[in-house]
Amino acid sequence: MKISTLIFLGFSVVLTLSLVDSYVNNLLSRQVNKNTVFLANSESVIRNSSKLHKSIIDMQSAFRGYLLTDDENFLTPYDSGLKEIPRLYIEQRRLVKDSAPQLSRLDSIFALHKNWVNYANDLISSRRESLAANGSSNRYRELFDTKFRKQVGQKLNSKISDIFRDFDRFEYKIRETRRDTLTMSIERTETFSFTFVILTIVVAVTTSVYVVKLISKRIAMMVNLAESISKGKFAIVKDNKNDELTSLSTSLNIMSERLSKNIKELEKRNSELNQFAYVVSHDLKAPIRGIYNVVQWIEEDLANEISPQMRKYLSFIPQRINRMEGLIDGLLDYARISRDKALKEVVDVNLLLKDIVDLLVPKQFTVQIGEMPVLFTERIRLEQVFSNLISNSVKYTNHADSQIRISYKELNHFYEFTVEDNGIGIDPEYNDKIFEIFQTLREKNDQESTGIGLAIVKKIIDDQHCTIRVKSELGQGAKFIFTWPQN
Amino acid sequence: MKKVILLVEDDELDVISVERSLKKNDLDYELYTAYNGIEAMEMLKSNNGEIKLHPDVILLDLNMPKMNGIEFLKALRKDEKLKDIKVFVMTTSGDEADRKTTEQLGVSGYLIKPLNFNNNSKRTDSMDGFFQFHIRKIFAS
Repeated sequence: MKISTLIFLGFSVVLTLSLVDSYVNNLLSRQVNKNTVFLANSESVIRNSSKLHKSIIDMQSAFRGYLLTDDENFLTPYDSGLKEIPRLYIEQRRLVKDSAPQLSRLDSIFALHKNWVNYANDLISSRRESLAANGSSNRYRELFDTKFRKQVGQKLNSKISDIFRDFDRFEYKIRETRRDTLTMSIERTETFSFTFVILTIVVAVTTSVYVVKLISKRIAMMVNLAESISKGKFAIVKDNKNDELTSLSTSLNIMSERLSKNIKELEKRNSELNQFAYVVSHDLKAPIRGIYNVVQWIEEDLANEISPQMRKYLSFIPQRINRMEGLIDGLLDYARISRDKALKEVVDVNLLLKDIVDLLVPKQFTVQIGEMPVLFTERIRLEQVFSNLISNSVKYTNHADSQIRISYKELNHFYEFTVEDNGIGIDPEYNDKIFEIFQTLREKNDQESTGIGLAIVKKIIDDQHCTIRVKSELGQGAKFIFTWPQN
Repeated sequence: MKKVILLVEDDELDVISVERSLKKNDLDYELYTAYNGIEAMEMLKSNNGEIKLHPDVILLDLNMPKMNGIEFLKALRKDEKLKDIKVFVMTTSGDEADRKTTEQLGVSGYLIKPLNFNNNSKRTDSMDGFFQFHIRKIFAS
């Protein structure tokens, strides 16, 4: 799976969870809202119910008061009740319109009240008539006896009160249930929200941790590969995934393989070349040795028979052969530098230089060697470098005051050695050329100069990843400066 | 005491060198020369297996045409009548494998012919010097 797909999937899951959370929260809060509205509504119903009941009771009291006292003032609450009660009834009806049992109770109350109002109206109007006729109204008497005495109104009233009691009780009960439901739905909403938030966080964190780990693991693998390549180990990274990083690791692997192949090829070529140089040098020597012997034999056996001119010509042969030998030996040494592995050991450069000078430098030279360091290095290589540089100085310094000076200074991780003479020097024009193989600035028949010594020096110093340079002017002596690893 | 020497060597110059060394040292010898292993075998044995020549010493070059020194040495060590002859290897090859093989087959000496011949070198480094030095030792053995 591609990493971008994975990230996209992770985000989608988180987003979906958030959406579901919001939607459910919305649903739940609506329910809470609905319950709250219902409770507020129910409050109004109860308040209205008591108002209505009170008005009805007030009317009844007013009615009884008037009948006892005949005082019209008593009828004020009665009249206002007549107007108020239908209005309250309509309002209450609107409030309980969703509850059929309450509606029917309310209607019964209203119907009973209407009956009572008819009854009360009849009594009141007949009473007034009777008062107007000075108590001689039969109708009032009749009504009083048949209805009031028989407690028709009182019965209606107690029925109304009963229904009111039922009405309120019912309303309170519903409210109780609703209140429980509201508490529950609030709790449910909280739990649900909490769970969803946790779930969302878990999914988001898990996805990011997984993706980050996945990427960093893959990158670490490639960094390791790059590191081992830089150390010359051409490993390969194993990658059985198929995503954006795969092409990178594939490229790295191809690069590593190619580098490895090229370097192996290079090493093979190099060793073939060294082998070739070695074999050639070795095989070249045998015929020359033969020639040399034949000349020797001629000189030994036929000394009396050869003319002076012939002797002179013959004498050229050993000269040229010696030069040839020098060239071949140089070539052999040059090839051996890479062919033979040198071992590291503790080398006291003071002693090393003393031995070399004793062996190579003629007595008439003044040699100055400063205090030299002791290092852990390949003795044979350092010896070859100094030998070649010193013998080079000896070769090109030939006057009454011949001097060779050797000194060093310490650099970061390296020593910098200087071999200096006051010989014939080198034209700066040739300063680079002298390190190339077979480049000598002497005439070709000079047997001591083969043009290999400095090439060997250069090759050894290159193998150590160090540098050599020359500072010289024609006639001003030469100064060879090279670096060498401290360890 | 006269020594019978068989020189197996394909390079005529080396043959001359050996001859000259023997003469110069004023040694009592009888020298037979073969130019390769097959010639040498033919000198030692006739076709019916009869021994024709039993030298005291064989001086053996390794790098030769037809039958080289190692093949010759193997054949020699297999022959009941010839296997005890002293053999000195004289070669320009510095190959360690050659040295090991010949030493396993049994040789009295393994001499590497010098390739350096300039006047400054040690005496044994010149070809004549080398042969003179070793021939004396071989004779003394």
